[in-house]
Amino acid sequence: MNASVLMIALPLLAAFLLPLTGPLARWVGPFAAALNIALGISLWQTVAQEGPSVVVMGGFAAPLGIVFRVDTLAVLFATALAALVLILWPRTSADPRRESALLLILLAAGCGLAFSGDLFNLFVFYELIAVASYGLVAASRERLAAAAGLRYLVLSALGSAFALLGIGLVYALAGTLNLADLSRHADALNSPLGLAAFALMLLGFGVKAELFPVNAWVAEVYSTATARTTALLAGGVSKLALLIVLHLVLLVYAQPAALSLLLTLGLLSIVSGQFAGYRAADLPRMLAYSSIAQLGMIAAAFSVSGEAGVLAGLALALHHLIVKPALFLVGDGWPKCVDSLAGLGRAEPWRAALFVLLALSLLGIPPLPGFWAKLLLLKALLGMGEPAWNLAAAVVLLGTAIEGAYLLRVLQTLFRGTTNAKPATFGGALPAGVLGVALLLVMLAATPVGGALQRAAQQAADVPAYVADTLGGSPQ
Amino acid sequence: METLSTATELEWLGWTFYAGSAGLVLLGCYALFAARHALRLLLGLFLLESGVNLFLVAVGFRPDAAAPILVGEQAGSMVDPLPQALILTAIVIGVGVLALGLALAVRVAKEEGTLDLAELGRRLAATHTPATAEETLPQSGRTETP
Repeated sequence: MNASVLMIALPLLAAFLLPLTGPLARWVGPFAAALNIALGISLWQTVAQEGPSVVVMGGFAAPLGIVFRVDTLAVLFATALAALVLILWPRTSADPRRESALLLILLAAGCGLAFSGDLFNLFVFYELIAVASYGLVAASRERLAAAAGLRYLVLSALGSAFALLGIGLVYALAGTLNLADLSRHADALNSPLGLAAFALMLLGFGVKAELFPVNAWVAEVYSTATARTTALLAGGVSKLALLIVLHLVLLVYAQPAALSLLLTLGLLSIVSGQFAGYRAADLPRMLAYSSIAQLGMIAAAFSVSGEAGVLAGLALALHHLIVKPALFLVGDGWPKCVDSLAGLGRAEPWRAALFVLLALSLLGIPPLPGFWAKLLLLKALLGMGEPAWNLAAAVVLLGTAIEGAYLLRVLQTLFRGTTNAKPATFGGALPAGVLGVALLLVMLAATPVGGALQRAAQQAADVPAYVADTLGGSPQ
Repeated sequence: METLSTATELEWLGWTFYAGSAGLVLLGCYALFAARHALRLLLGLFLLESGVNLFLVAVGFRPDAAAPILVGEQAGSMVDPLPQALILTAIVIGVGVLALGLALAVRVAKEEGTLDLAELGRRLAATHTPATAEETLPQSGRTETP
């Protein structure tokens, strides 16, 4: 059996066998996540040597059967999610068995989503992630966590219904849901109704991707859920939702109208997120709004057709996947109100230094990886050579200026005055430290990492090869 | 089904599917935007999902075809089975999410004494404004320790 199938089957199996494992229960989850990382690395090597492959399920060839597409991009996302889940595995928990099961289901569904080559399968795995995330959000002991979870559930379920409606419209218009087959029938979707289907799917998948009109849940959930759940949602799950959007615009909706729509939503996310972040008075909310803006930037990058956009979006996504979870973990346990952070820079120098490093990379200060990601985004946007995309580059710069204003305000507060408060417990020291070291490693190895991302982007943007791989070059 | 035997009448049946699904979707959307009580919202959600599912059935419907089940030797055309397989999955997901939503609603009602989601949103927004945030000591409020 192919390793990509095992990456879904093993965590699912582990999740359902968890009640039977007795005293071993707390080790099953981390073990499954570690196993997934190992499988991901072995797949990465296979893909690097033999190129992308297609796994056919149940003996039915595409477009009738269900296929998995194993390419660099998918392996990268699946492995990164497994690594994030392992790093963020809760050490103590009110109900370890249930939380482990939810995390394992989220891991399995995330890997499935990364590999799926079929619109409906993408939807099913997306829903599975959503259900697991409702449980994780509501597991927090913070006051109002269940209320935030319920509001999140209603909005997210509304989005899912819209997405399903969009998928139904796509099927009605094109007669297929296989992404490669849809790519051949893209003309059938080049109509107002086809665009409406895209808009519905964007609204649906945009809920997890924190896109503009459907992101009201972000600040509420991120300020009430546990730091590790928040880190997982902001770092991992949102990127997977954007991966669906990337598949759609690369393979199916390469039409200018769809790209403009995605760009518009991305820019509105940037502007609204950065302004809300500037106005936020407490740290988790500020980081949540900054996350909306960062994901808006990734959406804007994906609205650039061709390899440059994929590369910029990929760099931004991976950078955000490392930095934002670490920031949430460092801020966890500190007073929530930004003004109460004064003096903590002196009281807890290492923790504050880590925060400074992460915040500066998020902002895009030159030697740090965040700078290269933003530079790639600006180059991609200006490379389109169209007024709307030039304007987008200006909006990104303006957003960065606002982001700088509020992040530097936090840094300034940290190193101002003194505090007589006892140092808070730094529960997330290990995961935050691991992520910080990962960031520094990426900075030192910028050239090889950039090369690997370039290859992944090249492979993902090669649509004819994708179609030929999946459908075996069958007649049109 | 003798009354619906002619092709035109069956085609008309297909259009009623579309009309019915549009009606259910609009009704669900209206409930979601007009109501504030969690149970009404969840009901609206269920209506919306039913509408979407009916839409998928309508997409696969063909006036002159039989149900896509092979019974012995059978010739002739069948309706498209793929949307039917899809909605089976979608219905199961929908029921699961609805049950989870109701369970969460019970917990919220016990903890907060209200199911008015707009009111809960106000409470969520008020928790962390500077005026009410009384945080002097860094407590491990957001860690997982009970």
